[in-house]
Amino acid sequence: MSLTVDSDLTVAWDITIDDAPVTLTARDDLVAVAGAEGTVKVLDAAMGAEMGALDLPGGALRTELAPDAGNLAVSGAMGYALWRRKDGHTTVRESGAWSAAAAWADHERVAVASGRRALVLDSGGTELWRTEPAASTVTDLAWMRQGRRLAVAAYGAVRCHERHTHKPVATYPYVGSHLALAVAPTGKWICSGNQDASIHIWRTRDGSELTMSGYPEKVSRLAFDDTGFWLAADGAPDVTVWDFSGKGPAGTAPRQLRCHETITALTWRPGPAGHLASGGHDGTVALWCATAGRPRTRLSPVRELDGHGSAVAALSWAGPHLLIAAWRDGRIRAYGVPSRTAL
Amino acid sequence: MTTPDARDERVPVTVLTGFLGSGKTTLLNRVLTENHGMRIAVIENEFGEVGIDDALVLDAEEEIFEMNNGCICCTVRGDLIRILGALMRRREQFDHILIETTGLADPAPVAQTFFMDDEIASQLRLDAIITLVDAAHVLQHLDEVKPEGVENEAVEQIAFADRVVLNKTDLVDEETVAEVETRIRAINAPVQILRAQHAQVDLRKVLDVGAFDLDRVLREDPSFLTETEHQHDTTVTSVGIDVDGELDEDRLNAWLGNLLRTKGVDIFRSKGILAIAGAPEQYVFQGVHMLLVGEFGRAWRESEPRRNRLVFIGRNLDRDELERGFTGCLATAGAAA
Repeated sequence: MSLTVDSDLTVAWDITIDDAPVTLTARDDLVAVAGAEGTVKVLDAAMGAEMGALDLPGGALRTELAPDAGNLAVSGAMGYALWRRKDGHTTVRESGAWSAAAAWADHERVAVASGRRALVLDSGGTELWRTEPAASTVTDLAWMRQGRRLAVAAYGAVRCHERHTHKPVATYPYVGSHLALAVAPTGKWICSGNQDASIHIWRTRDGSELTMSGYPEKVSRLAFDDTGFWLAADGAPDVTVWDFSGKGPAGTAPRQLRCHETITALTWRPGPAGHLASGGHDGTVALWCATAGRPRTRLSPVRELDGHGSAVAALSWAGPHLLIAAWRDGRIRAYGVPSRTAL
Repeated sequence: MTTPDARDERVPVTVLTGFLGSGKTTLLNRVLTENHGMRIAVIENEFGEVGIDDALVLDAEEEIFEMNNGCICCTVRGDLIRILGALMRRREQFDHILIETTGLADPAPVAQTFFMDDEIASQLRLDAIITLVDAAHVLQHLDEVKPEGVENEAVEQIAFADRVVLNKTDLVDEETVAEVETRIRAINAPVQILRAQHAQVDLRKVLDVGAFDLDRVLREDPSFLTETEHQHDTTVTSVGIDVDGELDEDRLNAWLGNLLRTKGVDIFRSKGILAIAGAPEQYVFQGVHMLLVGEFGRAWRESEPRRNRLVFIGRNLDRDELERGFTGCLATAGAAA
């Protein structure tokens, strides 16, 4: 009963939720979507059937499924929530603190931003340890070193914490407000997208720094692909894709992906192919061979999926063959992408 | 920058400042409870005594961020950026947003947030900064001597205001009210002062007033520029300039750019309506410290004399230097010399 979108792209399912979606996550056979008013739905990736639901008062900001899809974390403007697949058990913490991000270290441990701190919880919600307060509300989190070290972005620095001490084990300072954090899967690079319309980069080995400035707007979305060689960012009408292979991007120019006026979502397809999906305020979803061509090349999308006007709220890949898109008007759609090598 | 026009669909935002005890909470309660038909979201920085069922009230803790762009006074409010961002993602629509700052808050980072963040600027417009003033206690706050390098917040909040609600006028005599008004005008000559008791002020005069719409300000009070007689021994003052003629755009840009770069720390607010040589429309600008937005407004009418009106509100302003610099931008200035 799948509908044909293009010669080989299919719509696997199409549903609508009664909220404005803000964030999506997909792992294994599950998809979760959370909205601005706190509606959270857990869906079966293959069919879109509802597998679970919860509500986070104050509205959601981020949702993350654990790598095995056994647990879900949702963070929001007034607290956070956890959902367990096994028995549908839900824990909602209305802490009153702004929880901008959540990140799973493994199947059992999740870090949740909570005001100026990050909390590390077990999957039942019991606190294992917490960081000391940062200089501002925490904006993003990422795990390093196989889940032993937690990188925390806030105003003025990215601070790395480990369980044994309240103080950061490493501090990467920068005068400015970090909005988004990306750590290369290789562990070699820490990157922040900043309010001052720049990307700041640290090489973890020696802390040496690099700033990519000159973006027209703040950089609030950053993502490394699975290889760790490519970083995609917003901050301009074009998605910029930087080459982090070898010595890194110093002195190089990015590839520029031109499709949207304002970028509202971007996500790499799992795997090494360099395929990227991006979404725009105008509702279009674009698929890219983002690493093709040479530096400074302006690329055109391989495909454009029409979104009928409402802004794209979030994108997520449920494995390499299924792209999930959520629009501001509540529509969630799953596209089947059959070919492994093409889009 | 987005060009505001008749169909500006951005949600207006009012910033409410004023010392503790000036009546902000009373005014806020009125805004939330009175039947004005508007859907209002409130962001509070002061610990909430306000709790109304059908209004959305959000708490925020002030977070001031430097912008790392070489502009030392470019600070923004990180808390407002994230809260306003989340608010605009909701499906329900608001007609208006009201931000209540703490009694000691600096209004500059709040205003600058609306200039510096594109996501906010595209969806929201700063409608007005409303400062509540306690008629009975403000003189004492204005006269308070601060240590070197520390701002007098009362002076600053008045300097930034588009409207002053002069509250608690029932607690003082007419003479004191007049003196307070004189002191307010000495700092901020063009500001509109609304007298009030128990914060009873016509909400239409504080909400969605378009005070950042300059044309309206000058239309309402075209005489402000000449009201500069009563000088007090205050370092924060207004300098108004009113000159006929047309301006050379390049010279104006160079002068204004240099002025804000070098004196922007001391210039709290700047506003103006200018006649640019060769442009059929009025050029309207608004600035907060070093940040400035300008756009062409309505067309000059045929019979209307080409005239330039602008005002600077700030610390240690040199009237002669400002006038000289500005008249040097007139298209005829070179020829006359």
